[in-house]
Amino acid sequence: MTNVKMAVWLGCILYCGLLYGQQEFTVSGYVQEASSSEKLFGVTLVFNGSMGTTTNEYGFYSITLPADNYGLEISYLGFQTIRQEISLQGNQKINFELVEETNELDEVVVKSNRVAKAITSTEMSVATLKTETIKKIPAILGEPDLVKSIQLLPGVSSVNEAASGFNVRGGSADQNLVLLDEATLYNSSHLFGFYSVFNSDAIKDVKLYKGGIPSVYGGRLSSVLDVKQREGNAKEFNGLASVGLISAKALVEGPLGKGEAKEGKGSYMIAGRRSYADAFTFLSSEFKDVSAYFYDLNLKANYELNENNKLYLSGYFGRDKFGIKGLVNTFWGNGSGTLRWTSVLSDKVFLQASGIYSNYSYNLDNLRSGAEFRWKSVINNYNFKPRLSWFINGNNTVKVGTDFTYYNFKPGQISPLEGSSVVPQTFQDNFAFETGTYVDYQQKVSDKLSLQYGLRWSTFNRLGKAEVNQYETGNPLTYDPELDNYIVNPVVGTTAYTSGETIKSYNAFEPRFSMRYLLTDNSSVKASYNRMNQYLHLISNTTSATPLDVWAPSGTYLKPQSLDQYALGYFKTFKEGAYDLSLEGYYKNIRDVTDFKNGADLLFTESVETEFVQGNGRAYGLELQVNKNEGKLTGWLSYTLARSESKVLGINNNQYYPTNSDQLHELNLVGIYKLNNRWDFGANFIFGSGRPVTYPTGRYSQNGLVLADYSDRNGNRLPAYHRLDISATLNPKSGKNGKWTFGLVNVYARQNASSIYFSEVSEVNDQEVATGQTQATKLSIFGFPLPSISYEFKF
Amino acid sequence: MKTHFNILFVISVLMLISCEVDVTNDLTIETTAPKLIIEGGLERNLKNPLGGQRIRLTATTNFLDNNGQTPLVEDAVVTVSDGITSYEFTYAGNGFYENTELTPEVNGEYTLEIVWNEEAYQAVETLNEVPLFDAIYSVFEEETLVTDEGYFAKFDSTDPAGIANFYYHRIARNGEFIVVPDPGNSDVLVISDEFFDGQQRVGVNPNDEIIFEIGDEAIVQQLGISEAYYDYLYEVFVQSSAGGFSFVGNPPPESIRGNVKNLTNSANRPLGFFYAADVEEATLIITE
Repeated sequence: MTNVKMAVWLGCILYCGLLYGQQEFTVSGYVQEASSSEKLFGVTLVFNGSMGTTTNEYGFYSITLPADNYGLEISYLGFQTIRQEISLQGNQKINFELVEETNELDEVVVKSNRVAKAITSTEMSVATLKTETIKKIPAILGEPDLVKSIQLLPGVSSVNEAASGFNVRGGSADQNLVLLDEATLYNSSHLFGFYSVFNSDAIKDVKLYKGGIPSVYGGRLSSVLDVKQREGNAKEFNGLASVGLISAKALVEGPLGKGEAKEGKGSYMIAGRRSYADAFTFLSSEFKDVSAYFYDLNLKANYELNENNKLYLSGYFGRDKFGIKGLVNTFWGNGSGTLRWTSVLSDKVFLQASGIYSNYSYNLDNLRSGAEFRWKSVINNYNFKPRLSWFINGNNTVKVGTDFTYYNFKPGQISPLEGSSVVPQTFQDNFAFETGTYVDYQQKVSDKLSLQYGLRWSTFNRLGKAEVNQYETGNPLTYDPELDNYIVNPVVGTTAYTSGETIKSYNAFEPRFSMRYLLTDNSSVKASYNRMNQYLHLISNTTSATPLDVWAPSGTYLKPQSLDQYALGYFKTFKEGAYDLSLEGYYKNIRDVTDFKNGADLLFTESVETEFVQGNGRAYGLELQVNKNEGKLTGWLSYTLARSESKVLGINNNQYYPTNSDQLHELNLVGIYKLNNRWDFGANFIFGSGRPVTYPTGRYSQNGLVLADYSDRNGNRLPAYHRLDISATLNPKSGKNGKWTFGLVNVYARQNASSIYFSEVSEVNDQEVATGQTQATKLSIFGFPLPSISYEFKF
Repeated sequence: MKTHFNILFVISVLMLISCEVDVTNDLTIETTAPKLIIEGGLERNLKNPLGGQRIRLTATTNFLDNNGQTPLVEDAVVTVSDGITSYEFTYAGNGFYENTELTPEVNGEYTLEIVWNEEAYQAVETLNEVPLFDAIYSVFEEETLVTDEGYFAKFDSTDPAGIANFYYHRIARNGEFIVVPDPGNSDVLVISDEFFDGQQRVGVNPNDEIIFEIGDEAIVQQLGISEAYYDYLYEVFVQSSAGGFSFVGNPPPESIRGNVKNLTNSANRPLGFFYAADVEEATLIITE
């Protein structure tokens, strides 16, 4: 038996040696869009129908194959497929340009293997959306929105229409890693979550990882939303401007260092967006004292130093303002800048390195007379992210790198305004250093089996200078089962740490694995596992809307959260890719998930460790998506069946309770219909079973006011949610540049319950009084059909 | 300083595009078995000494029950001890239990004991001294977004330096103490000296919802309370003004925990708070 084994091994080695003996060459280069020279990410290149590769984020590909003649097929969603013969008799550099599929309907539809990618890729639980699709989906007040659009995909939702952020597979909004050109954004919302910070005109593509997250990403538990800005047109100057009900936008782009050449050495893109000075307040004169608006700026430029070296610069700056005269004023937003260098070190080795600065700041002015003050909270972080990709051969690709992040949190500075007697105060800065070192290996084992596996080693060090409170029992909080409440333990002293000294150090290994097995030419099964660690925690004291997003780092008392996710999926295409289907199941187990103790007070609190409690969570579900990819009518149907629960000492009698994002059924139907060359129609229908709500289980009074007693957290359910939205786009005649978009959100005026709440009737004939009478009130955010119109033109 | 601006944010934005419907009659909500409610405490008032100390005991009902009948607890045994003497509180009707012998002292530690339905309840509270008013006066103010136009009773008071102080403001108009469910209550009716330790506060409006006319009599009170009672009242004012508005409630609405324990059966947790407070009081006739 041993001899037989030996013989097989020897045979293998000999065979491999023979393969190796045959001459191999590398073909590499870039794939770009023909009209603008914009580099394309994720383009599939297939040689002789079996061996293949895809372009990376910079449009670069490299594959090493035995010397031979190959039939090469290059395909990308929305672009015409290129078919070409290649005779590989030496190392070659070939750049390709892809042409967008035209709008001409009568033209013979080129069947491509673009859908096949969903079958053959090892990636699962991944969603991509293109800006063109986002712009065709009906939008609230006609402002196309990335985050609202991804919520139409299975497993992605939000707590309600005005909730900030989004929830992925039952996770909370702060568990999403939101990257804009590699820079972390800490708040993805404008105007209390009605809109996201992403200006759809400036975005090239977006990829959402819900599971099977590769080892190159880390730092958040639930998902990665990787958003890339457009690079700009390297061939000619272009402009785009649009006016809608809520905002006006403009974008310009053009070549850099073009001279007399056909294409510039680089390109730039600048986009700006500004909501009208007082968004919403035009609706009612009662709100003359309220001001609410936002703006943002996007910038990207790239320049080719030489054939192998390129520089990229990207920036984002956005701000929101909300104020009520004489009461409160707030001003908050993200800013980021990324400088990147990419270098083709050899045909097979690609280097990228990014230096990133990102900043999130939040100002709150209390304007109540006698106590006017400003509270300011800032996060600064500095990243350096080098990565090496080695395209070993057609079957093996390896990526290695490290992400370094240095954080400086300034949790609170309080300064008096207008000469009030408030004493200025500054909370101490928090410093931390995080690293994530990873290796990611993509391996094609056989024609049927492909693997992607990797390991990420993350470390997180809280650094001085700081003084850390020491509590009497060693812990900030003690649970008192008799009062069913947490008692804050007395501070018995502080430990002082000098600048740069380690206060608390965490590290963890995060294995990642995914595999794909082809069942037939048009179906596959996939499985994945990923472990994630999250070292930052969001302190936000409402499920919604609040700009009070203050992040706290893990440290002496606050532990990092960690998660294991297992997923299994089945993928199939029908009718040569005209339809495709995906079915996935997942299970997530979360440790040290953070929640707030009863009556937590989060604002202006320096020692946040006395407000948090940590426990366990679990989430599981099934997701189904069916896409129709061809014909006049395209779109998708998605259905999610899911549960998300937490168990935390001191909450819900120490039993599992549904999280705010728990929703059993969710169904989305999205259709885009192309009537002719001028008219596009879009519609989406959303159905969701009732979200959790907590109804009171008793009534009593204290100090002249009626109060409610509650028992089970999130123990009741709101009525089911459903809504239909429609839109129509009138495209310009050939030679003309103006485009009209019309929309109607909530067509049949469904008064969906965003909340049902219980209160004492406190107003009689416009006078505030304590009546002692109680009532239940249903709040609907869009209780009526909401029309919109917008106009966009190119120049 | 505790604030609750976020509710204002959301509510004011939402009011513009949202709609609200009264669904009181469309809902059936469950009720747990009646729980004991403790309302009241000890007050040391040197300006206007009280005739006696009173504590009220009632029980919970269904939240949407509006028949006006508060279930009274009439058969409990109530005592308060100062560590030396135990004072019995006798039933005086309408749920109130009274004692006329107990004289609360600054820094006194008081233990409340209740026996009801064969279960024993206990709470402990310390009385904190309150600073006096430096001045009290009336002021006319124009309408703002959160207050109406009219005369307000205001005071100046100096916070003692180096001590953590917690204040609770009460106000009476023509002899009647008034409070309304208002989002501002949690900022106005209770306050900690975290941001003004040792400073004089000038022009403090004890309740900016209460407007006076010329000739009205105002009784203004500033109570020195414990940190635990401050935390409790803060939650009371937040909940009563937001009404468990779970749209903005993260975490979701919770039963407010008081300081009274059920020693016999901790799962049958009582509601309410037993407090001890020092009261500074002044009376003012509103003038121009």
